[in-house]
Amino acid sequence: MLVIASLFHFNFMAKIQEIIDAFQIADYQETLAMLLDYSESLPALPEKYVEQRDQGFNRVPECETPVFVWIEVNDDKVHIDADVPEESPTVRGFVSLLVDSFNGATPQEVLSAPQNLVHDLGLDQKLGTRRMFGLSAVYNRIKSSVKEVSGLS
Amino acid sequence: MAEYVHPDVLVSTQWVADNLNDPNIKIVESDEDVLLYEVGHVENAIKIDWQTDLQDQLVRDYIDKEKFEQLLSDKGISNDSTIVFYGDKSNWWACYAMWVFKLFGHEKCLIMNGGRQKWIEEERPITKDVPDFPKTDYKVSGTNEAIRAFRDDVVGHIGSGNPLIDVRSPKEFSGELLHMEAYPQEGALRGGHIPGAANVPWATAANEDGTFKSADELKAIYMDDKGLKEGDDIIAYCRIGERSSHTWFVLTYLLGFEGVRNYDGSWTEWGNLVKAPIEK
Repeated sequence: MLVIASLFHFNFMAKIQEIIDAFQIADYQETLAMLLDYSESLPALPEKYVEQRDQGFNRVPECETPVFVWIEVNDDKVHIDADVPEESPTVRGFVSLLVDSFNGATPQEVLSAPQNLVHDLGLDQKLGTRRMFGLSAVYNRIKSSVKEVSGLS
Repeated sequence: MAEYVHPDVLVSTQWVADNLNDPNIKIVESDEDVLLYEVGHVENAIKIDWQTDLQDQLVRDYIDKEKFEQLLSDKGISNDSTIVFYGDKSNWWACYAMWVFKLFGHEKCLIMNGGRQKWIEEERPITKDVPDFPKTDYKVSGTNEAIRAFRDDVVGHIGSGNPLIDVRSPKEFSGELLHMEAYPQEGALRGGHIPGAANVPWATAANEDGTFKSADELKAIYMDDKGLKEGDDIIAYCRIGERSSHTWFVLTYLLGFEGVRNYDGSWTEWGNLVKAPIEK
């Protein structure tokens, strides 16, 4: 079992590293294009959460953009649903990247993802540091929620 | 009903729709979100990003004169171009870009009233096509530092009792916000406001649809309520100088104050400045 777990862990980290590598070699326009692709592929918020969103529940308070995140852990697998307005494509793209990368991973894997992903992706250098506070906050909020929901200390 | 003092700096979405192919007019979109332009923009609009294009990446300052000349030359803007700025968030970033263009002395700057939001709500066409205008040879003839305040100017302002307008939210003004876990992005070690400042959140000047409030409404807010009067030497500030450029625009062009400066160091500088006086 241990071997299998670490194999999965390796795959998860390899996937994250692949994304980091892609962003690292991308120029400014390519970075924007990748974020735009992610932004356009964020799955629609499931109907069951729409009312909660409209009432302001599950909002990530650190981000000026209205970002809403729901996290479930079933059978040791993380599932994230999120909603970000289309008028904020950068934040939406970043959240979509996280949803795409983290869904299906174990809570431990999500927690093992790089601590400073925004920096590792090179977003602070390309988009400007002042924009990055919100993204880092969303990232930290998702990780800490996964930790909380899965009961890991 | 009173008119704006300089109504000629505002154009309507219809005016832009009618003039977007005029070679003497350049439309500039400037948004908070760096990707919003890529989602779709007004035909022939040029993207200018407040952070990646206008700010120096090393010094906490704007790009220098040469880089500004290069930027505008590359974008196809010439010295006699009439520039129409528009953007997201009630033109907050459009006003910021316009303020920077004014710092570099560009004369003909207009704002599209209502900005991106109004254009989209009116279901006007947007495109993903990026215009490719012929390069120009833009030259900065002289900078206009009279619209910018530095920290020493603010110190002088406190002593003289001249008006300061803090355009942040009431909780930032009171200093409460810095103590909330939810807003670590403030980037200042002390909360509160510059002594003597009056609090008028920038969005107070905007309508729901992103347009500016009427001259009468603006007069009631800034003059009747806050006591600003003709001839006043005013400094506006916020967190990093962006929201206050919206107020700078309102006070300068819509209400006609001649001595309005934007303190772009704003709270991220003042709240971190050793020995700077703060009120809560």
